[in-house]
Amino acid sequence: MEANKRSRPKLTRRNYSKIIRPIFGIMVLGYILWRLYLVLIVQQVYTAEIWVRLLISGLIIGGVYALIAIGYTLVYGILFMINFAHGEVMMIGAFAGYFLFEFTKSINVAAPGEPPLSFSDGYPLISVILAFLVGMTIAAAAGFFLEKIAYRPLRKAPRLIPLISAIGASFFLQNAAQLLFSPQVRDYTNPQAIARGSGWTIMINDARVIVTYTGALTFILSILLMIGLYVMVQKTKLGKAMRAVASDKNTAALMGIDVDVIISRTFIISGALAGAAGVMWGLHNGLVHFFVGFLPGIKAFTAAVLGGIGNIPGAMLGGMFLGLIESLGPTALGISYQLKDVIAFVIMIVILIFRPSGILGEVLSEEKV
Amino acid sequence: MNKDIIRASSRKGLIFGIVMIFLVLINFHIMAATMISKLLGTNVLRGSFPEVRFMIIFLVLYGLWVGWSAVSREGTATGKLFEGLIAGITTGALVALFGLILFYLLETQTDVRRYLTNLSFPSINIFLLGLNGVGIPVHLGLFTLTGLVGASLKVGIRSQLFTRTVQNIKSFVNNLKLRITSLLPAYVHKYGKYFFYLVMLFLLFLLPSRWGAYNNFVFGMVGLYVILGIGLNIMLGLSGQFMIGIAALFAMGAYSVALLNSPIPHGVMLGFWPSLVVGMLVAVLGGLLLGLPIMRLRGDYLAIVTLAFGEIIRILLNSDLLTDFTGGPRGIQNIQQPTFLARPFNDVSYAYLIIIAMAVSIFLYYRLENSRTGRAWLSIKEDTLVARATGVDVQKYKLLALCVGAAFAGLAGGIFAARNQFTGPNDHTLMVSINVLSVVIVGGMNSIPGIILGSFALRGLPELLRELETYRLLVFGALLVFMMIVRPEGLWPSSRPDLEEKGSIGLQENIETEGKEGRGNG
Repeated sequence: MEANKRSRPKLTRRNYSKIIRPIFGIMVLGYILWRLYLVLIVQQVYTAEIWVRLLISGLIIGGVYALIAIGYTLVYGILFMINFAHGEVMMIGAFAGYFLFEFTKSINVAAPGEPPLSFSDGYPLISVILAFLVGMTIAAAAGFFLEKIAYRPLRKAPRLIPLISAIGASFFLQNAAQLLFSPQVRDYTNPQAIARGSGWTIMINDARVIVTYTGALTFILSILLMIGLYVMVQKTKLGKAMRAVASDKNTAALMGIDVDVIISRTFIISGALAGAAGVMWGLHNGLVHFFVGFLPGIKAFTAAVLGGIGNIPGAMLGGMFLGLIESLGPTALGISYQLKDVIAFVIMIVILIFRPSGILGEVLSEEKV
Repeated sequence: MNKDIIRASSRKGLIFGIVMIFLVLINFHIMAATMISKLLGTNVLRGSFPEVRFMIIFLVLYGLWVGWSAVSREGTATGKLFEGLIAGITTGALVALFGLILFYLLETQTDVRRYLTNLSFPSINIFLLGLNGVGIPVHLGLFTLTGLVGASLKVGIRSQLFTRTVQNIKSFVNNLKLRITSLLPAYVHKYGKYFFYLVMLFLLFLLPSRWGAYNNFVFGMVGLYVILGIGLNIMLGLSGQFMIGIAALFAMGAYSVALLNSPIPHGVMLGFWPSLVVGMLVAVLGGLLLGLPIMRLRGDYLAIVTLAFGEIIRILLNSDLLTDFTGGPRGIQNIQQPTFLARPFNDVSYAYLIIIAMAVSIFLYYRLENSRTGRAWLSIKEDTLVARATGVDVQKYKLLALCVGAAFAGLAGGIFAARNQFTGPNDHTLMVSINVLSVVIVGGMNSIPGIILGSFALRGLPELLRELETYRLLVFGALLVFMMIVRPEGLWPSSRPDLEEKGSIGLQENIETEGKEGRGNG
């Protein structure tokens, strides 16, 4: 009896978060609902075409986030480690694409006597394909060497050591890019055919909404890459080996799978996807600089957490979801567009606090346990 | 066997060659040559280029290093020399190839600075040793030769004759030491340590008034980073919570002091000392508010959430939303200077303030570490489950660690803002958090001498050697990776025996159990 009495207060004292977390959640939820009510029902200043515009941009950016998030998820699924430098791999891909476009722009393919025509304007399809190939290859190489230099020696170390190493690698790559290519912000030179801002026009309520070519390219290509990756992971031998290593390294090694090679290839694949995302980012947003990978990297991590880290469809879904929230959120909640990054971060914190397994988390644990 | 040697050493040479090319692309060779010329007493004017001979010294040193590190442990002396030679030739060939490209650029006067910002013509010229095309074979020859010499140096030093000589000298010195100490009276033995501390303390109190404002500024920076490092160490080293958002807590301290002492946004003039306390309290509150919801998160998730927290604070400070309240991107200017006994502060008094704050922090840290609380923190870090089973209130102590660490961060922030008479969002970026993390990790977790050494090495040295400033963050990144691979316990590790397996810094559970837990959760 006495023991019971004494242990009671202790029990309540220990579970601060049991009280705090619901309060925190209710506050966040209440704020969101209040703002939504204000903007959507009381004010009603935004018309349909604005929402469509935001929806389109959200889908496009969501595709990019999804591609990067898959990289996080693949690596986390296998190594249980946050590849903090993944955003920098994307930056490297973006730079590779930038240099390729600059190069193709400088080649003149016009017949003599005609006005000069650069390769990228004359053969836009080939140069875009080339840019994606080069960006993906170089980013894949970056991922490969990143793993080999910064992570492989730490395979057996406690979990936070690779994370510190990853933060270091991320800083190193950022600053190396800054020193190599100068801190200036560069404009991507798109081929004329897919110049930024040009696109198909749709009429909604007598208002023009432009679906840009770059946006369409980004969205379609990211979906294609995601499908390709999903098929690869589900159907091919490499994918099977990756799943085996993810669920149990030791047993996979006993079954004759070379774990090191598989981990290496995982990094190559995730690097290639990040490289593609980098080229898309450059083509669509038009800017590339040494810091370009940092925020998308963190947001893509948010997306991966959102969908349940370690889960590939979850990362795709999370990326799309985050892209939509990020573009619709500031308008829907009626807050300044400067704070769109805050929205992404707050979502990440809230998700991690209330549902660390993410939206599709349960599927993952069923599949793996 | 022979093939293996060739393959391994040419691989090493290749890596060194790539590193050299990278160094040239980031203009490091010019910096190195300038430093060498300064060391040798020839001053180089700012903005001008060093002489070619210093470039040659740099290349020779690099080549010796190539040869030195190409030598493997096993094999005969000739085999080792061969390894050095092969590595040198590979490096030389790669560098010469690169030199050829640079020479082509120089000949055709192609300006690539639009893309590779550092590749200017004078820089290329110096890299080619002022010899244009002739510089290319010179590079090849130089690296081959120095590779061989470096390898032979290592072989010579590793040889038995040399080791024996070194041992003889060592034993001789030890003998001499013993003889001298036996001559000294016993009390020197007993109190010599304290005497040394006293001298150090005396110097510390004498120096600020002697060595000028700039050195005081640098010293103050180092001291503030020591305080921040202690704060982070309480979270990361003692209680094992990976916090990357310490810049946010730093910002809370800085903005509290700034807002309460500046005429512009609010016109509150509270005075420095009370506002410093307020700043610490605000930071503690921030730590508490951050800690309460995220207490349950595991290591790396915690890191990302705290990073996000730091970014949120920075973005909010930068946004229009808070411009009226915190000054927005322009920050807060004209912070009123503190007074002590009715005398206003100058750089010397700030240096003293920082010394005192540092001393108090170190004292408090030692008291905390050896207290019941400190033991509870360490037990949580080593094994949360066992700590809980033995009756440690894990959540309470984790929260306490965050709050105490935040108080230190707030203290540093407050002094920082007052000393600069300005604070703005750009003083509290992610860089600050990463800097503090580097200081703690590189110096050595849970080790005060380590943290002091870390902040001197990472904050003080780059300030004093201005040429290095450009490469500071690059080196930080590389150092973090390097330290994790080679020496995860830091430069000056703590004397407390590591309870976990060797080579770990002992953070929470090991991989296997956490991995399973991770799968269970998600």
